Amino acid sequence: MPPLADLTELIVFVLLAAGVVVGSLGVVLLPNVVYSAFLLGGVFLSVAGLYLLLNASFIAAAQVLIYVGAVNVLILFAIMLVNKREPMADAPGLGLRRLLSSGVCAGLLWLLLRVAYTTPWATPGPTPLGEDAVVRLGEHFFTDYLLPFELASVLLLMAMIGAIVLARRDVFASDIGTGEAADQGLIEKARSPLLIEKTRP
Amino acid sequence: MDTLAQSLNAGAIAPEAAILVALIACLLADLAGERTAARFVPPFTYLGLGTSLVLLALQWNQPAAPSFFGSFLADNLAVAFRAVVATSTLLSLLISWRYVERAGTPVGEYASILLAATIGAMLLCGATDLVSIFVALETLSVSSYLLSGYMKRDARSSEAALKYLLVGSAAAAVFLYGTSLLYGVSGGSTDLASITEALTATGVAPLSALALVFVLATVAFKISAVPFHQWTPDVYEGSPTPVVAFLSVGSKAAGFALALRLLVGCFSAFEAQWQLLFTVLAVLSMTLGNVVALAQTSMKRMLAYSSIGQAGFVMIGLVCGTQEGFSAMVLYMAAYLFMNLGAFACITLFSLRTGSDRISDYAGLYQKDPLITLALSLCLLSLGGIPPMLGFFGKIYLFFAGWADGQYLLVVVGLLTSVISIYYYISVIKMMVVKEPQEASDVVKSYPAITWVQPGLQPLRAALLVCLAVTAIGGVLSNPLFTWSNQAVEGTPLLQSLISQGPSVPPA
Repeated sequence: MPPLADLTELIVFVLLAAGVVVGSLGVVLLPNVVYSAFLLGGVFLSVAGLYLLLNASFIAAAQVLIYVGAVNVLILFAIMLVNKREPMADAPGLGLRRLLSSGVCAGLLWLLLRVAYTTPWATPGPTPLGEDAVVRLGEHFFTDYLLPFELASVLLLMAMIGAIVLARRDVFASDIGTGEAADQGLIEKARSPLLIEKTRP
Repeated sequence: MDTLAQSLNAGAIAPEAAILVALIACLLADLAGERTAARFVPPFTYLGLGTSLVLLALQWNQPAAPSFFGSFLADNLAVAFRAVVATSTLLSLLISWRYVERAGTPVGEYASILLAATIGAMLLCGATDLVSIFVALETLSVSSYLLSGYMKRDARSSEAALKYLLVGSAAAAVFLYGTSLLYGVSGGSTDLASITEALTATGVAPLSALALVFVLATVAFKISAVPFHQWTPDVYEGSPTPVVAFLSVGSKAAGFALALRLLVGCFSAFEAQWQLLFTVLAVLSMTLGNVVALAQTSMKRMLAYSSIGQAGFVMIGLVCGTQEGFSAMVLYMAAYLFMNLGAFACITLFSLRTGSDRISDYAGLYQKDPLITLALSLCLLSLGGIPPMLGFFGKIYLFFAGWADGQYLLVVVGLLTSVISIYYYISVIKMMVVKEPQEASDVVKSYPAITWVQPGLQPLRAALLVCLAVTAIGGVLSNPLFTWSNQAVEGTPLLQSLISQGPSVPPA
């Protein structure tokens, strides 16, 4: 590979990686959820760019379509629908918690980096297929990954049903067997102390 | 065409297919309205699960050929654990109908989601490929989240679902990270056989150790071993009781099958390491689960902590890595299925009649409801390991296997914590039996007359009686169970090759 192409690739990689890191930090640290959601879209796009860099154009397209086009838009919809601007009270000992969790995360990062750098990776990996990747993916889906592929359809069907059941607004619920009114809550009721018990000395 | 059919070997997942057909039948019946669903969904599920159990019985002791090009393997281990999962679903469904109808929630969707969870759990028991394992794990997990939030108007149920979802997604992410490392180690293959080869070739390296820890964390989350147990009490308390029954047995059995296949099978080069890690997890689970259960006032919470402790006992068999250890594990899972579901049937019935699950509300119950008192007492005694119940034989076999393998620490901790567990189980029984009539709780004093006429109560009674009979008599007649669990290990080439690698190193 000529050095110029190498250098370009490196620069693009650094830019995309910076996009991923800075974007994800913004997602976690910014107090405004809308900014976080848009930055999340940026992170997804940068990851798609990384896939392109690896010569996996189909995965990159799928990443943009699914994560940016569907998941991120859904998140934005959810944020827009829940426009309750309530100032959240800070949890007690927030500073200490932040310190502890950042310590744990930094330790984990150090561990992962250390392992990644000490492992003798078998680089370079297999050569990318380029445009043939779609064909190969299809072959895999219908041969050795047939079982997970089919099982995924059960998973999606059930997730859809579950989402509808949980989100459906059914105002009147009743016991099918006896016709009594029901409240769609646990049968084990939380006991609220009665007024008589409260006033009792 | 013939060779394709042979290499697919799709007959191996016929039991799951039967359940899938039942799932679709339930959904179609549900289209005709709630009343039709309530009438037709129960027989459909019985039919599907019954067919599935028969098909599983036909697979027993058959030579296991890999199916779906190495994605699935129906060896005896898989068959045994899938049978445990399917039976636990069947019993949970029998318990569920009245509970779900009383709460006014749709029956058809409930059954479908529970059946989907069963399919996921059963495929997890036999999956031999990282992608299949992950998709099966997600099918089980996502259905479990949905089921625990099924009582949607109840804040506790929603809280349980949200907690379970957040912690479960974190666990799934960690699992994916671990499997991506395994994918890298094996040089780009996802089936467990080539990963085992690669791990044996590389030996103990930081990368594989990291993968081991990540995968182990997820398995420990699924079987709710301490310190990955924080979700358990809240989820168990907030979920509908029949769902908790499934989570505590079916989901846990699938977790143990995953542990056997992935950790014990793949990481055989790391035997000393994962044995040490599992020893720590087992000691912590037994101790914390049983000690914290002492302080609980809610029955479901107490059973949650007790199930953490029980998972610790099962891990003794896992750590041994011997023929006895593995078959004791299988035996104890089967015993746990009946005694735990029996206990859940009792507390479901009690809460249906009284609307309470506080332990103090059980005071003086024997005068009003002898059946619940008897069944709950026997199941709790069995969970505690009192002879001659089924649980005693399961536990003694586990401790025997541990002692024979030199796991003295585990066995001693197991014995001590068993004594503690007997204390809190007995205190529930004491609450029900010993109290004088005037000391009975207000709930018991105003106990409704016992009827079984309401729809859905007869299946509950049937499940209760089956669990009661197996728990009480199964101990005396446990020989078939011993043979069954031994065959489960003998008919599994994976476990046999591990056992023949020689005795494991006893801890220094």
